[in-house]
Amino acid sequence: MTPDSPIKLVSELLDLPLYDTEGVYCGVVDDVEFSGRPGKDLQLKALLVGPGAYAGRVPGWAMSLVKLVAGDRLTRVPLEKVRSIGTAVHVECPGRDLSLHKSEASAGKWMPRWGAL
Amino acid sequence: MRWKSLLLLMLLAGCSKGPEADLQAIKQARSLAAEWALVNEQASQGKLTPTYVQSMREWLHYQLHTSSTSLTQPDSPYGEEIHALLTQPQDARAEELRARAQKLKQIEDSLESA
Amino acid sequence: MNPLELTLGIMTAVGGFVDISELVFAAKAGSQFGYALVWVFAFSTFGIIVFSEMSGRVAAVAKQPVFNLMRHRLGLKLGLVALAASIISNLITCAAEIGGVALVLNYLTGAPYPLMAIVITLLLISSIWVLSFKWIERVYGLLGLFMIVFAVALVALRPPWGAIARGFVPQVPHGLSTKELLTFAYFVVAIISAVMFPYEVYFYSSGGIEEGWGPKDLITNRVTAILGMGLGSLLGIAILSNSAQLFGPTHVDPVIPGSVALEAAIPFGKWGLIIALLGMFFAVAGAAVETCLANAYSIAQFFGWIWGRQKQPWEAPRFTITWIVLFALALAIVLTGVDVMTLVEFAILFSILVLPLTYLPLLMLSGDRKYMGQYVNGPIGKTLGWIYFAVITLAAIAALPLYFLTSGGNG
Repeated sequence: MTPDSPIKLVSELLDLPLYDTEGVYCGVVDDVEFSGRPGKDLQLKALLVGPGAYAGRVPGWAMSLVKLVAGDRLTRVPLEKVRSIGTAVHVECPGRDLSLHKSEASAGKWMPRWGAL
Repeated sequence: MRWKSLLLLMLLAGCSKGPEADLQAIKQARSLAAEWALVNEQASQGKLTPTYVQSMREWLHYQLHTSSTSLTQPDSPYGEEIHALLTQPQDARAEELRARAQKLKQIEDSLESA
Repeated sequence: MNPLELTLGIMTAVGGFVDISELVFAAKAGSQFGYALVWVFAFSTFGIIVFSEMSGRVAAVAKQPVFNLMRHRLGLKLGLVALAASIISNLITCAAEIGGVALVLNYLTGAPYPLMAIVITLLLISSIWVLSFKWIERVYGLLGLFMIVFAVALVALRPPWGAIARGFVPQVPHGLSTKELLTFAYFVVAIISAVMFPYEVYFYSSGGIEEGWGPKDLITNRVTAILGMGLGSLLGIAILSNSAQLFGPTHVDPVIPGSVALEAAIPFGKWGLIIALLGMFFAVAGAAVETCLANAYSIAQFFGWIWGRQKQPWEAPRFTITWIVLFALALAIVLTGVDVMTLVEFAILFSILVLPLTYLPLLMLSGDRKYMGQYVNGPIGKTLGWIYFAVITLAAIAALPLYFLTSGGNG
């Protein structure tokens, strides 16, 4: 399936894992962004990745718990960057080009880099 | 209103005293006494390491103490039996401990059949 | 299929099968009901084999771990509920395992229990940091094979083999009072829960991804699941049978996990005791690792973090922080002083309540041609899967009432 073909948003796109060109797991499609106006066709514009995208999908109290565990970062993946959608979404560039690994990088800044075989 | 009565009954059941409420503690004490007897018996036959024996005796004693303090009627015959167990020396004879376990088993059986 | 790799995989599964809950409940089941609950062990083992094979197949074919796919199938809200339930269940189980290992260290060394809980937690964290995934599995799984001493002890005790064989036939003992019947039912539920703990399929499926399984590994997956878990369950049955022989007649209803080691000490003396304690140490420590990593896998996969021990710890920093924090939380629970047996009871209870949420998505995923292609569930797998799902759902419904009516199986 390509980004141009028809798609069922909930059953075929939402909550799918995201992989980059290096095969690195980059997150989950947590929500989607549309463009359009009342009375006009809605166009899928971007994928939203990160727990910040849960806000519209879960109750407020659940969002507070999610924020505690996973933060509230939100990364926008323009639809033009999506290569294919199947059992996973594949983007056409490395995840770092889309700022998809920023949280990992900041979490790993202070971690010792020795001792593992 | 019916659910309020049910809730009250459950609360009362939880706060009940007497032999029925102490049945759990009696069973636990019976088993602990039997375990203690088994440990001491095997220790006397040289089948256990001293460290293991010491640890097991300490844990068994600790659990017995917990059972004893949870009794709603500590001055009952079973309460006195459990207290007597607690005063036994750690290396008490297995036969003595088994006899006490057997007494608690009889009390347990009579309470269950009542 | 590399025969050496396959053998090691099977042996790892055997040594890693028993955890503190199975240890405790097998011994209690044997002392209270003789051989009458052997069939429940066998039945539950068959269930975990069915679902483990499914989860390994999903990992090998869809190349995604179960929790990722589960979120897509269930959606965010229900996925969050499943995640929260599994975190709580696995955390309590991990705490029970750490408490269990600390107790074993206390029996071996005499050192204070709280200190041993801290020491073992640090040791487990270090071992996961240092070792690769394959060696984490191998070290704990293979050294857990010391548990075979319980099977050897059974042979040495010359049990009534006919009675054990009859124990494999589904039965309810005659002449039980109502209370005893309820207690028997509770043990059925508890053994199902202990053998089919949710963390096992999460760990197994994520482990399959860690080891880079593909369709070519499906036979390995099937053989490891069947032989490894099948043989592993014989250790649980051996513990139950030893207990029936040694503890039942003397009215010992093991209140302390250390009593289980007596099963090997009675026939073999000090060396039997030491080997049994070492087996318990590695088996339960391995289970602590699995429960913690299973939780970390679930959290990282759900929130879309880089995960896996096949990467260096600093290459998957949020995943690394997660499993370290989970160990710290489990240790904190142990250090509150709550009794290990109480933790085991709660672990069993929470797990059985969560089991339907765990296995339903797995059943649906492994039966979905969109993910599985030609490797979708066959008619036998589908039938068995749904039968077991019905059984665990019934067990989940019955668990809480039985727990309260029988005071946690204590009658």
